[in-house]
Amino acid sequence: MQDTLLTIDGLSAGTEDKPILHDIHLELGSGQTHVLMGPNGAGKSTLGHVIMGDPSYQVTSGSITFDGADITDLTSDKRSLAGIFLSYQAPVEVPGVPLYSFLRTICQMRPELKTTARKFRERVGQICEQLELSDSFLMRELNVGFSGGEKKKVEMLQLLLLQPKLAILDETDSGLDVDALSIVSRGIEAYRAQCDGTLLVITHNTRILERLDVDRTHVMVRGHLVAEGDASLVGEIDASGFSRFEDELAAKGGVA
Amino acid sequence: MAEKLAANAATKLSHVNVPPAQTWNYLRINDIAFEVPAPVTKGEVLSRLPRLFDAVETGIGTEAASWIVSASGDSRYVEVKAGTHRAEPIVVDVDAAAGTVCDTGVLVREGAEATVVVAAHGTPAEAGTTAALVRIVAERRAHVTLVEVVALGKGSQHLEGIGIDAAEGAMVDVRQYALGGEKVAMGICTNLAGRKARLTQDMRYLARGSEQLDVNHVVRQRGRLTKSEIVTSGILADAAHKTMRETIDLIHGAKGAEGREIETVLVAGDDVVNKTLPTILCDEDDVAGNHGASIGSISPEQLAYLADRGVSTADAEALFARAIFDDAVIHAPEATSRNAALSRAELVLGTEIARDVAEGLGLDEGEEH
Repeated sequence: MQDTLLTIDGLSAGTEDKPILHDIHLELGSGQTHVLMGPNGAGKSTLGHVIMGDPSYQVTSGSITFDGADITDLTSDKRSLAGIFLSYQAPVEVPGVPLYSFLRTICQMRPELKTTARKFRERVGQICEQLELSDSFLMRELNVGFSGGEKKKVEMLQLLLLQPKLAILDETDSGLDVDALSIVSRGIEAYRAQCDGTLLVITHNTRILERLDVDRTHVMVRGHLVAEGDASLVGEIDASGFSRFEDELAAKGGVA
Repeated sequence: MAEKLAANAATKLSHVNVPPAQTWNYLRINDIAFEVPAPVTKGEVLSRLPRLFDAVETGIGTEAASWIVSASGDSRYVEVKAGTHRAEPIVVDVDAAAGTVCDTGVLVREGAEATVVVAAHGTPAEAGTTAALVRIVAERRAHVTLVEVVALGKGSQHLEGIGIDAAEGAMVDVRQYALGGEKVAMGICTNLAGRKARLTQDMRYLARGSEQLDVNHVVRQRGRLTKSEIVTSGILADAAHKTMRETIDLIHGAKGAEGREIETVLVAGDDVVNKTLPTILCDEDDVAGNHGASIGSISPEQLAYLADRGVSTADAEALFARAIFDDAVIHAPEATSRNAALSRAELVLGTEIARDVAEGLGLDEGEEH
């Protein structure tokens, strides 16, 4: 039996005026790759953000346990330092902060990653090469004026630098052309190979999964986790879509 | 060569950094006054630079410019020959410990390229004044890069006046870093006189404690199809006081000219005073002028993104401050300006981070850490 890294138990959450997630139960084992699929607006990204501790969402019931500790009430900066990483669907631009300063700061905050600036530069250089990202980006302001593909590569750069225990990839494949998708997929593979971290891949597109060995697949519809299965469920969804799950939820009266 | 000022006698400069168009006096934004030592020289001193520089307008105004010329005791003239690329930067070294006041003229001949650095650094033994007046003439298709680093300490007051004339097709790139000084006035005026002359100007600043930073940015767009872009961003902490005047003057005849200015201020202190006077003057129909400003704290989206990477709100402010020093060191083209930024970083960010800034940019090559 694999160690459990993340346990979500009876979690309901939403914004101030709108419940979004309903009684979610989810377990992710260490080193496993899980996929969270569902139609647009199902609440997949919300779940990612709630795991990360986004203050825009309030947890109304249930708990989140990460690496043996209850993190339900921890702020997102502390969750990050504990080893959770959320890759953004639309990474935020931060004018005034060169990418280098940002990367250096977030690494130096983690005792396990603290190193000399020279070694850090070498490491960043290697990852940039791997991601086919020119190191001239390091002197540019964080995400400012970057294309969609470049922003996603910078997210992967952070993932490979920080080596988190759990990486939540929120529609990392959206808006990428074939070449960029291939590079980003290589980044995810490298993360799995180098860090043996746990992955929760949020997507409604199966192309990004082609290069990954999926352990479990979860389906979310209208804020409910309605199905779980092995990797074959991905193929099933690819062939027939989500309507079966939506119908089943409606039949159970689970319309939020 | 700089000259020490007479310490006791004082002169008042009442109208420093006056913008081309003024506003209500009660806003106290039309100028700043400075008490400066009276120059040793008695009477008016005529400029020792070639007369061509007399016509160059500086951002700090004629009163302060005349004082600097009188007090400097000497002037330095540098000419970059036509069609040449001068690799070695022209450095104006302003040392607070020596009370430097200097007057410099740079003529960049047709098609030549040159970099001018103005680095004000150090802390005076007692309260002291430093000043630099730099006038630059860029002939046709010349390319001038100007880097200003003001990295002064407690007890320093500093006046920095820049004037640039750009002829047809000349390109001017300016980077200004205001990193410290008790009372600092920086005034720059760029005259895009020739057709297709271009200016890009990027200013970053950090003012903290009770520091007072006063800035006057002026661009005169006289030539057709001229372009200017002025980007200013900075952090105000504690009880710092900043006044920023930004004027794009689109003069009659400058058909097809475009000017854009944008300012971002991060307010990180409860007692900060932040004043801005953005102005676009327009006396020509066929032009485009644009101004944008955002004043406030770090946006909730930015804070959320940073928090998701382990950076708390307090850490975020420190990150923004470090970023200014990283940027200054990245763009400092030679040792005086780089060391000025690093010394100031040591005081503001602490020794460990300042060292990290230096190491991270490869300034430690050959040393083992």
